[in-house]
Amino acid sequence: MAKSRNHAEWNAPPPFKADEYVDSRIYSDEGIFEEELEKIFKKAWIPVCHESELAKAYDFRTVTIAREPVILVRGKDMQVRAFLNVCPHRGNMIERRPSGTFLDGSPSGNPRHMTCMFHAWQFDMKGRCVYISRQEEGYQDRLKKSQVGLRELKCEVYFGGFIWVCLDDDIGMDVKEWSAGALECLQPSLDEEPLEIFHYHKAIIPCNYKLWHDTNCEFYHDYLHYHNRITGFNDGYFARKNMGFDNGHINVGSFEVQYDNYEGFDSRAAISFPHLPPNHWYMIDMFPGVNFNLRGSSLRCDLMTPLGPDKVMIEFRGLGLKSDDEATRRHRIEHHNSIWGPFGRNLHEDLLAVTGQGVSMDAQAEPRKILHGRHENETIHDENGMRHFYEEWGRWMNRSPSDPTKPFSEPSKAESKSKEEALA
Amino acid sequence: MAEIKDRASAATAVREAVYKSCMYKDDMNWEKWLNLCDDDFSYAITAYSPEIQRNMTYLSGNREDMRTMMEMLPKHNSDHSPLKRHCSVYEVEVDEENKTATAVSSVLVYQTMLDGVNCHVDSGESKVFLVGRYCDKFRVNEDDVKFIEREVQLDTRRLDKGSHYPI
Repeated sequence: MAKSRNHAEWNAPPPFKADEYVDSRIYSDEGIFEEELEKIFKKAWIPVCHESELAKAYDFRTVTIAREPVILVRGKDMQVRAFLNVCPHRGNMIERRPSGTFLDGSPSGNPRHMTCMFHAWQFDMKGRCVYISRQEEGYQDRLKKSQVGLRELKCEVYFGGFIWVCLDDDIGMDVKEWSAGALECLQPSLDEEPLEIFHYHKAIIPCNYKLWHDTNCEFYHDYLHYHNRITGFNDGYFARKNMGFDNGHINVGSFEVQYDNYEGFDSRAAISFPHLPPNHWYMIDMFPGVNFNLRGSSLRCDLMTPLGPDKVMIEFRGLGLKSDDEATRRHRIEHHNSIWGPFGRNLHEDLLAVTGQGVSMDAQAEPRKILHGRHENETIHDENGMRHFYEEWGRWMNRSPSDPTKPFSEPSKAESKSKEEALA
Repeated sequence: MAEIKDRASAATAVREAVYKSCMYKDDMNWEKWLNLCDDDFSYAITAYSPEIQRNMTYLSGNREDMRTMMEMLPKHNSDHSPLKRHCSVYEVEVDEENKTATAVSSVLVYQTMLDGVNCHVDSGESKVFLVGRYCDKFRVNEDDVKFIEREVQLDTRRLDKGSHYPI
């Protein structure tokens, strides 16, 4: 008979294998968080923004990865390059605005240059130092401009025009290799023609970044969303597959959403993205904290920037096709924001849920076991997506997700085989 | 209802309608709010993003869309922390023929925490939820004015959990 549990029972390991739950300290421990920045976020490819955010030569955009300020600039040659947004002189942040153009001069510098306002050192769009104020007077021949260029970062435009940056010069793979096939399901839809951003807002939520990523990786939580229950929850929905890829990435397979079932909503079929069957919905979750979500007519991208063990900034972007006419774009925006906007039906619910998780997993709270032990033949309510993510997380961190005080151990081949057989 | 006989009385009616709209929404009396709006009313929450350098529309709909959205609220999981709108009407302009009017108002929305985070700790705390302006258009009738358009122009773009309620 079902019963409540006392303290010892509550703290006992669940009746699951170790890869079917995690210890909540991975969501709250300050030391683990700092380690994640060093071992994961400084080593991974991160899609920091979209190329349409810096469409013209001399446009720029500023972002942050693992506390490092980063600036993206589009050169005269139209190539996008990434640099640390840090002056090599006194360590000041060079550009303070979120975006803009260097075509105009600044109070301390000339047009077409990045200028550090502090002492007026100037850099060109390739990160070369081109001006040091009173250089000879102060440095004589001891310092040359060639010795104080900006720190350039690995940068690639890939997958529908997203700009990916990696802080690690030695990552040893491009974005295509990094994605390990996870992006392929949407590549024809996103690469057919140029995309354009139409939506941006951000949320700072008092929870660990992985809790948001978890929410994007599991659809069992559709019980949270009236909209998803009424427009989904049919045979097609329950047949959707979760698939894991190397490097911890995940796909959630598609099905046809019945938008008409939600009062006031209508079909997205007329303005579907290229090559996407009408009203279909694909999701890609990229390790360690990125989500691409294509619901027929509009693309959403979530980028997580961890700010602390219990604090994450999530940037939400919405994109359509650059070729959209005014009416089409308006419809895409309505479709996107009625569900995913800051006043939309679903996003608010998701953010409420992870906020509640953040409260219960406060750093000083007693560690808890957080379950992801559902097995449903790797279909939509199976929690294999999260298990896949945490296996990779354990590998990068060399910590066991179910007991982060212990080192990670690779699942044995026998275990993997028996798991596959059990599922079969 | 008072007779609207000239542009001055229309301007007064416009101010009253703006303030009533705030009170009704504060009280979550959506029906009374929508009764201030004409059949062809349209509503939008917009913002300019310096991040992506674009005008954005966060929410939009007509009178019926708004009604449906409010009727569906009980089916959704929402942050029930109430919102209070502090509004000042800055400018009212009534056209020469006394048929239409526009108004620009400053609006500050405070949220008093209830169940949004940890109610034991946070409930009762008030904070600024967003900052913006109402840009309204009205139809001037013989005995009242009706909203035909409300655009909530937000400065705030960091909206954290967001909201299910119109502003």
